[in-house]
Amino acid sequence: MVRLLKKKSFLIVLVSLILIVIMGITSTRSSKLGWFGNLLNSVVSPVQKALSSSGHKVDSTVSFFKDSKAINDENEKLKQRVDQLEKENDSLKELKTKNDLLIEALDLKNQLKQFDYISANIIAKDPGNWFNVFTIDKGSNDKIDKDYAVVASKGLVGRVMVAGPFSSKVISVIDIDSTVSGRLTKTRDYVEIKGDLSLRDQGLCKMYNISPDVDVAVGDKVETSGIGGIFPKGIAIGEVTEIRQINNELDRYAIVKPVVDFRRLEDVFVLKSKN
Amino acid sequence: MRSKIFVLISSVLLIILLQTTLLEYIKFNSIKPNLLLVFIVSVALLRGNIEGAVTGFFAGLMQDIVSGKVIGFYALLGMYLGIAIGSVNKRLYRDNFFVALVFSFVASIVYESVVYFFGVFLKGQTDFIYSFTNIILPEAVYNMAATVIIFFIVMKIDDRIKKSNKSSRKY
Repeated sequence: MVRLLKKKSFLIVLVSLILIVIMGITSTRSSKLGWFGNLLNSVVSPVQKALSSSGHKVDSTVSFFKDSKAINDENEKLKQRVDQLEKENDSLKELKTKNDLLIEALDLKNQLKQFDYISANIIAKDPGNWFNVFTIDKGSNDKIDKDYAVVASKGLVGRVMVAGPFSSKVISVIDIDSTVSGRLTKTRDYVEIKGDLSLRDQGLCKMYNISPDVDVAVGDKVETSGIGGIFPKGIAIGEVTEIRQINNELDRYAIVKPVVDFRRLEDVFVLKSKN
Repeated sequence: MRSKIFVLISSVLLIILLQTTLLEYIKFNSIKPNLLLVFIVSVALLRGNIEGAVTGFFAGLMQDIVSGKVIGFYALLGMYLGIAIGSVNKRLYRDNFFVALVFSFVASIVYESVVYFFGVFLKGQTDFIYSFTNIILPEAVYNMAATVIIFFIVMKIDDRIKKSNKSSRKY
């Protein structure tokens, strides 16, 4: 036995077998080996936090000088926009009071009021170029657990994939492993939102399973449907930018532009249900 | 021996920290180089297949833990990469920059193609041409540029270790 262990090729085969078994164990959803990764991540995450925040500072100082002209132009535009929005706001306030009355009348509950918002910073990204998984600086110590929904101020970001004590990993909706059940806000039809490798670089994702009788148009809004139990109902996902047909009506998909800009994402919120 | 392990662990930790944080800011066309792969190639070229395999295994394991989908995949891949490159190095001039560049280019293409096959292709994203021209090839070129720096550093550390081995043998 000892002599066998000293042989190189035997060792390689043994290590390979062990690793394949570990891969099998960890690929199931309820693996018990999470503590092993958590151990290292707890050590690494404070350093990652420091490094990314310093990197971000340098980046923002550089862009501060680069962008000052653009900012002036933008300022002008924004002033005009403020005027315009104030006007719109007045009319919307009117609508809101009307809407509140109607909602009360219908006794609809706002689903998202049942959630606590835990704010978190992104401290690290995936080491490779294939996946869009990132690490946030809150974990199970802040009562975050697997499969909690993650949102930004505008809409859906993704869900918690692994939760360690001080950090957790979030898989974003544009990752190729992510599938979100959504629905069209206008027609209330169910669809499926998936990440796609070729669209990911532009920050887009694909919309599948559009049944042939559904009337989809460019500019339609998509939100979460609440099916599956991970994502609460009614979080904005994005907007349809293009509809592509492969052969016929049955065989079509749409391209969705998420409301969240994944390239500039830094702060997110984890949704934790109150009960 | 002990100092060698210390150097290995600390450099892998340093690289994984850089890889996940600051490298985001030097992305070119949303592609970043894979410093761990370059490190494995450099160590395997300079130190042979056993140390290459150990480095590959350890660096891969770190990447598994940090990227968090399945534990063991990158470790296995890294180990095989270290063995493969470490086994060819006997027949070549090992501290030649040009050899290191060619090896890191070829290794990047093979390694990322395997990652593509298991991590992407099997999940239904079958457009290999797109992945090859937009991710694998640019990353391989970027890795070659990173090789210049990392191979140089690994070579310096390698010289140090060799020197200290000689002086400790004298007594």
